[in-house]
Amino acid sequence: MNRKNIKLIFIKELLGTIRDKRTIIAMILIPLIFYPLLFTVISYFNRLGSVKSEEAASRVMIDGAEFAPQLVKYLQDYEKFEIIILEDDSPHKLQNGDIQAVLVIPRDFEYKIEKEEPNKLVLKYDTTEAKSRIAKQRIDQIIEKYKGEIVLQRLASLNLKEEFLTPLILQEENIATAEKMTGSFLAVLLPYLIIILIFTGAMHTAIDITAGEKERGTIATLLVSQISRLEIVLGKCFAVMLISFVSMVLGLFGLFIAFLSGTSITGGIEEVQFGISTNIIFLLFLVLFPLVGLASAVLVMIGLFARNIREASSYITPIYMLTIFLGIISISQGMELTGKMFLVPVLNSSFVFRELLMGKIYWNHIITTFSANMIIAGIALFGATRLFNKEEVLFRS
Amino acid sequence: MIQVEGLTKIFHDRKRGKIIAVDNLQFNCQKGQVFGLLGPNGAGKTTTLRILATMILPTKGKLMINGLDVVKDAAKVRREIGFLSSETGLYDRFTPRETILFFGRINGMEDKLIEKRIAEIFHNLEMEDFQDVRVNKLSTGMKQKLSIARSMIHNPSVLILDEPTVGLDIITAKAVLEYVKSFRDQGKCIIYSTHIMREAEKLCDRIAIIHQGNLVAQGSLAELKEKSSFDDLEEIFFELINQGEN
Repeated sequence: MNRKNIKLIFIKELLGTIRDKRTIIAMILIPLIFYPLLFTVISYFNRLGSVKSEEAASRVMIDGAEFAPQLVKYLQDYEKFEIIILEDDSPHKLQNGDIQAVLVIPRDFEYKIEKEEPNKLVLKYDTTEAKSRIAKQRIDQIIEKYKGEIVLQRLASLNLKEEFLTPLILQEENIATAEKMTGSFLAVLLPYLIIILIFTGAMHTAIDITAGEKERGTIATLLVSQISRLEIVLGKCFAVMLISFVSMVLGLFGLFIAFLSGTSITGGIEEVQFGISTNIIFLLFLVLFPLVGLASAVLVMIGLFARNIREASSYITPIYMLTIFLGIISISQGMELTGKMFLVPVLNSSFVFRELLMGKIYWNHIITTFSANMIIAGIALFGATRLFNKEEVLFRS
Repeated sequence: MIQVEGLTKIFHDRKRGKIIAVDNLQFNCQKGQVFGLLGPNGAGKTTTLRILATMILPTKGKLMINGLDVVKDAAKVRREIGFLSSETGLYDRFTPRETILFFGRINGMEDKLIEKRIAEIFHNLEMEDFQDVRVNKLSTGMKQKLSIARSMIHNPSVLILDEPTVGLDIITAKAVLEYVKSFRDQGKCIIYSTHIMREAEKLCDRIAIIHQGNLVAQGSLAELKEKSSFDDLEEIFFELINQGEN
């Protein structure tokens, strides 16, 4: 095996891929321009919609206003309400969206307040309408406030202080480190995104430089050269690995920018403190490397087996679906893998990513995952080289 | 030189079963000679040439190129041969210069020598004007010149040409034939497969007619004429094939 030959194939594949317009679109334009733009536009329209709903006054109809004049006045004083007294077609109007909520006051409202008996108000609203939900929240707030005032009056009449109602206070203190906070925030989605980006990044190049080379008839020219078939497979595989890794990094970077540009318009999210240690970053790469190798080797093997690009795409689709499925499993909260499950490729990486992002370092998991993925990547590479030596695979039509 | 003895290639197909693509072929080709493999589609020409080019293995037979065993010394044989067919495509995103540099390097040549050969070949094939234009922008004729340059970069003494004029217009095809003649004049040993009678007539010093994997006849055009009652190669071809079938 000659390293120089592997490098020649590697550079050739890399150059060919970089010069392909589709690569530039998929690797750079989509993640770095399209994602942020999409997020910005979506957030802008979202924000526009929610600002409008929050600024507008809620039209609330009151059924039985005459039974609670004080409460009605309380509601009328709130500037974000437009109070309407009952009309016959209130249910119809609520459905139409002409009014956002109906508050039903019972006949004996004042009497029960006086007698200190529980009172029941009915609030009708439409949970599928944003404006109606806002009206419900506003009424909730006002009723709570009104309730509080009644309680205070009752306490005063009994010569009791407000503190009478709060004999215990539970103070919460979050002891999670910045590292863990970052991790738990990132651990939810990041492993899934990494896996998907690695596979999508590798897919196009892997097919193009294997099945594509067969389709274009260039493969024969390599076979009659001085370069061995193992060197060809390794050179191709390393090129796919690099492209896949760079696609993943650009993809994550694009999503990060998209996330920031999206949130800056919606008004920001709670501040997330980023605090991943260098050790963790090193371990993340340690787990990432065999995963990238595994994805590349498997996709190159499939590409070499296929007659043409179309056939390769149809073989790769179920593999891609399986990857998405394993990725989705990794998102599900509360699921823990047992020892042997760390031998399952892709799934193992996503769980180790999650553990590492949470600041947990389980060496047995890391070593099992690393070894399992390296071995499977090695088997796939061996398989790809074997296929490359089979004339019925190389020249079947 | 090329020596082929008892070459047999059997493929196994799930639907069609055992397929004898080439059956007990025997021929040889000397330095400074163009040896033509003449036969219809499916005669076994491409299979024979792929075996000679070390791409696939023979089922039986002994094949020697410049004294090297094609099966046992495949890597060394590849140094001696240049392979060109209508199917050997080019990399669209590379320029002719980059293409030749790459193929020179993967054939184990030093960059200095490659540059020297590029200057020589590009001059001879009149490729200087488009040497830095990407392949996808080249005409069919330019591409075929590049394919020839690619197969010649490591200065092979044996050329294996599998229907190199298929799909070319008559002007480009004529130019290709002229290059093949010039390579013969340089003393190279050339094996040339075709199904075009005129090409074989004009170009080949010796011709082997193959049909359904079998060698029907071989010899110079004059020798083939002697075996037949016709003068025209096309008529000779049909007569010999019919004789073979009977």
